[in-house]
Amino acid sequence: MESVIEPFGEGFVTALAPEFVLVIGLFTLMIVPNLGDAKFRIPLTQIRIPWFFGGKRGTLDSDPRLPGIFASIFFAIAFLLAIVSFLGGMNQTTVASGENVLLKVDEFSRLFELIFYGALALASIASINRLPATFRADRSASGLYNNRRQVDFYILLMTCGLGMSVVALAQDMFLLFIGLELASFSTYVLVAFLKETKEGSEAGMKYFIVGSVASGVGLYGLSLLYLWAGSLQFTDLAAQFDTSGMEALPLAGLGMLLVGFGFKVSAAPFHFAAPDAYAGAPGPVAGVLATASKAMGIVGLLRILLVVASPENSDDGTTVWLVALAVMSVVTMTWGNLAALGSTNPKRMLAYSSVAHAGYMMAAITAIGALNWEPAHVMDSKSASLAIVTALMFHLVVLVCFKLGAFLVLSLLESENGGHTLESLGGLVKREPFLAVAMFIFMMSLAGVPPLAGFLSKLLVIMGIVKAALLEASASGNISFSEIHWVWYLALIMVINSAVSVFYYLRVGLVMFFHEPEAGREGPLPKGNSVRLAIAACVISTVYFGIGAGQLIALCESAANALVGAW
Amino acid sequence: MSTAIDWISIPLVGLPLISSIVLLIFIGNSSVAAREKLGPSIRMVSLIVSFFMLGVTTMMFFGQMDNMTDWTTMNFGSFNFEHRYVWIESLGIHWSVGMDALSFPMVWLTTFLLPITIAATWNEKNASVYFPLILMMGGALIGVFVALDLFMFYVFWELTLIPMFFLILKWGGKDRKYASQKFFIYTFTASVVMLLGLITMYFLQPDSALTYSGTWTGRTFDIPTLISHSQAANANGMWFLGESMQKVLFVMLMLGFLVKLPSVPFHTWLPDAHVQAPTGGSMLLAGVMLKMGAYGMFRLPLAMFPHAAEFFQFWLLALGMVSLVWGAVVCLGQTNLKKMVAYSSVSHMGVILIGIATMQPLGWAAALFMMFAHGIISPMLFAVCGAFKHHYHSMEIGAMRGMAKHSPWLATSMMFAWMASLGLPLLAGFVAELMMFLALWHFLAAENWSVFWMVGPAFVLAITAAYYLWSMQRTIFEGGEDTQPPASLHGEPVPDIADSEKIAMVIMAAFTILFGVMPWIALDMMNGWTVAFFEQLLIPILNGGA
Repeated sequence: MESVIEPFGEGFVTALAPEFVLVIGLFTLMIVPNLGDAKFRIPLTQIRIPWFFGGKRGTLDSDPRLPGIFASIFFAIAFLLAIVSFLGGMNQTTVASGENVLLKVDEFSRLFELIFYGALALASIASINRLPATFRADRSASGLYNNRRQVDFYILLMTCGLGMSVVALAQDMFLLFIGLELASFSTYVLVAFLKETKEGSEAGMKYFIVGSVASGVGLYGLSLLYLWAGSLQFTDLAAQFDTSGMEALPLAGLGMLLVGFGFKVSAAPFHFAAPDAYAGAPGPVAGVLATASKAMGIVGLLRILLVVASPENSDDGTTVWLVALAVMSVVTMTWGNLAALGSTNPKRMLAYSSVAHAGYMMAAITAIGALNWEPAHVMDSKSASLAIVTALMFHLVVLVCFKLGAFLVLSLLESENGGHTLESLGGLVKREPFLAVAMFIFMMSLAGVPPLAGFLSKLLVIMGIVKAALLEASASGNISFSEIHWVWYLALIMVINSAVSVFYYLRVGLVMFFHEPEAGREGPLPKGNSVRLAIAACVISTVYFGIGAGQLIALCESAANALVGAW
Repeated sequence: MSTAIDWISIPLVGLPLISSIVLLIFIGNSSVAAREKLGPSIRMVSLIVSFFMLGVTTMMFFGQMDNMTDWTTMNFGSFNFEHRYVWIESLGIHWSVGMDALSFPMVWLTTFLLPITIAATWNEKNASVYFPLILMMGGALIGVFVALDLFMFYVFWELTLIPMFFLILKWGGKDRKYASQKFFIYTFTASVVMLLGLITMYFLQPDSALTYSGTWTGRTFDIPTLISHSQAANANGMWFLGESMQKVLFVMLMLGFLVKLPSVPFHTWLPDAHVQAPTGGSMLLAGVMLKMGAYGMFRLPLAMFPHAAEFFQFWLLALGMVSLVWGAVVCLGQTNLKKMVAYSSVSHMGVILIGIATMQPLGWAAALFMMFAHGIISPMLFAVCGAFKHHYHSMEIGAMRGMAKHSPWLATSMMFAWMASLGLPLLAGFVAELMMFLALWHFLAAENWSVFWMVGPAFVLAITAAYYLWSMQRTIFEGGEDTQPPASLHGEPVPDIADSEKIAMVIMAAFTILFGVMPWIALDMMNGWTVAFFEQLLIPILNGGA
């Protein structure tokens, strides 16, 4: 079922229900902690009208624990609403103002929203323990400090979620960019949130400078595209690309946009800020950067490369960005893995592993570019690109389970000022077996060991690439090895890279299970039920999506169909 | 699909895996003191589970189950206890299990070794975690052998790494970290290359409606379907998937299996892993895990890419020969008992590879029997090494003299195992080696290859006898009246092995004799499988279209 609606017209709110929940949440977070018994006196009279903003606050609304609980609940509601919209078939809704298509609600955007809200919900649940708020007990400086900044933190998480969902929904380059910036600015502050620590402010500074330069370059590229096409609508850009896509102007614009999104997915050589940012940010925020923020960058890449500069536009059926993206993906995955081998800070290690994963995903996107869109092969090409996009979506969904989970385990260690060296994980199995086993499962899943979700996602990505590489050749029956498209070698480089990566993932397990705890860390870990709850959710989903992934794959397939079918 | 009880998934794969996970979760939730206390009962639970599994497979061996064909008369491509359940429908992934005469001996061997391993390492420390890991290992290994779906095969193939990694890391020797990581990374690297080969093969299948294919991809992971499909495509001199593709895929798949086997250029993980692994880990590693490599070769590349196998025949033979000779020569230089045994395993795996490379029914039967015989003998070798480690705290050859006087049981077991391994007639190893020699002769004569290929095996026979006899003489004999206990005992009285170890040794020795004197018990079904394979698949393909 498809429908077109006007902004704020009939059905607008129901179509964008999850987003509106976030907006309501945003206002709730702003208003509720400020409610008090303030009264407004009408001038020149003695009549005082209760006004409620400010004044002496009540016991309930001045509880510093409130924002965390509220934010978690609102994210959870948004997540559930996004799931509900899948039930009984997605109602595809386009929000258009006149000729201009603004937003489109379909399986593709909804699935990405699931990723965003899921990651943010887990992060905000975990942050209840990471940035502990205490009600009237803790009078220490840091305790008061944390109490005061609760609202800011969760408001920023909310705006981040809102910006991300705009990116997923946008059908217009400019709107997409606004969403991107909304999310980016929130993350800049979130990264620097622990400003009293040296790493925190350093991380924020680096991330902000590199990020804003990347955004600036992207924006410049966008302006070039506008100059060339006169519109930033995806459909207009795509149509224009069909006729004059090989000109210098659009290609320069495209390349500059790649820089902007390359930073978001932390692709080499735009990844330099990522390790510092991840290491300095609070664990849950780093987890959001590595999962939701990366997924947002992938949305951008998919939209700009596949929807706008889609493969059928060039003469020989392949695309102009093919070689550039292939080189970038190989460099990214290799660099990420090699750098991760040498890092002793687990958060930097995870950051580099996230760089490597960006490389795998870019290799998958490259494979779509290699497809032949000649009329004779168009159905096959479509099914192959469907497979690849499905694999990407699946990868991004399950990444939330194990990557975020790993960061959450580290965030628990941060609460006792650890987590910055591998040794602070030492003897985790003696201190808390559940966490050690959970972390080991996350590591094995990242390495791609069956039967965990990470294996299946890697398998799907490799399958997608191989399918694309063999497509043209296998149509003719028996083929020779030299006829295979060269993107097959991307799959080879990818599997070799994932074999290299095992080394550093295993090392974490080694330290947790077989090293003695560091001096001063022998005791039990800090308390925190909500972060453990979030970790447990991550573990269960990592294992479940590894064993019983059928439904999730079907979901991803329907989402991919929404993107690919639109070409 | 029959409605009969799934005798493979439930008792042989599900039971050990689930019971081990349940036990581990249970242990994880109990206090440290309670874990110590629970050790013996967990050991008993593990033993009972493994005995139950052995009972099931033994019933299968005697043909006492419903709906089963006799192992010796099975057709190629038919399986006993076949069951299929949809796993991931869109990709055509099934949980499908079944056994033929190729996998059944390996499954029986695994179930046979589980209780033996538990008995031989009865007093292992941290029992409450150790024995569940052994069980998990057993379940994962059986999963590899019974899997009839490529995806499932790969999942179990990798799953075996995890318990073994922990076994080496937790209970291993001094350099266990290095060894376990090397073990994991070596085999994982080879496996992912194999995985890429499998996926490439998956998508190269023509997009015709095959049975059990995915609703979405239109291709199948089902091994019997793939084999019968490739069988048709390979006929009449045609190459399944095309000539160059078949060669490339053959190499990619073989790489995974050769590293696991291991064959010479890729064997260096094995001595490290073995020397550092605990006795139980070594027993399962040498007894069953190495055979996964050979099993995989028979199951996939040899069945699907016979043309490529014929093309690479020279290289397979050369690799086997080099493994055989190199493993044996390196043994001569070892001073560590366990390292020597580990290298002798490399040498024996060379025999398997040569048997495969002959492309003769006799050679293949020899390879299959070698897999089986080595699976009984090498655990005994490692059990002996483990006993040395456990009781003498030293495995250095020459650190002790005249142990026969102090520990007659250990000395006897060692002598028996050593003799079995060097191929004494009437013991299981001899049968396999003899068959391999005959097959090699037959092959060289039939194909007019140089007779100098025989130099290697002949040379190795002498070397093998030399290093085994030499190590034995230096450890358990010699010394006369002034026997010398190892310095590592620090003058304490020299112990003999424990009762549980004695039981394990006697059982392994008994079966070595049994299969040496009456090889046909196991050989019949292997022969049946090989002959069926050659008659129904290889000969029509390789000779039919020429």
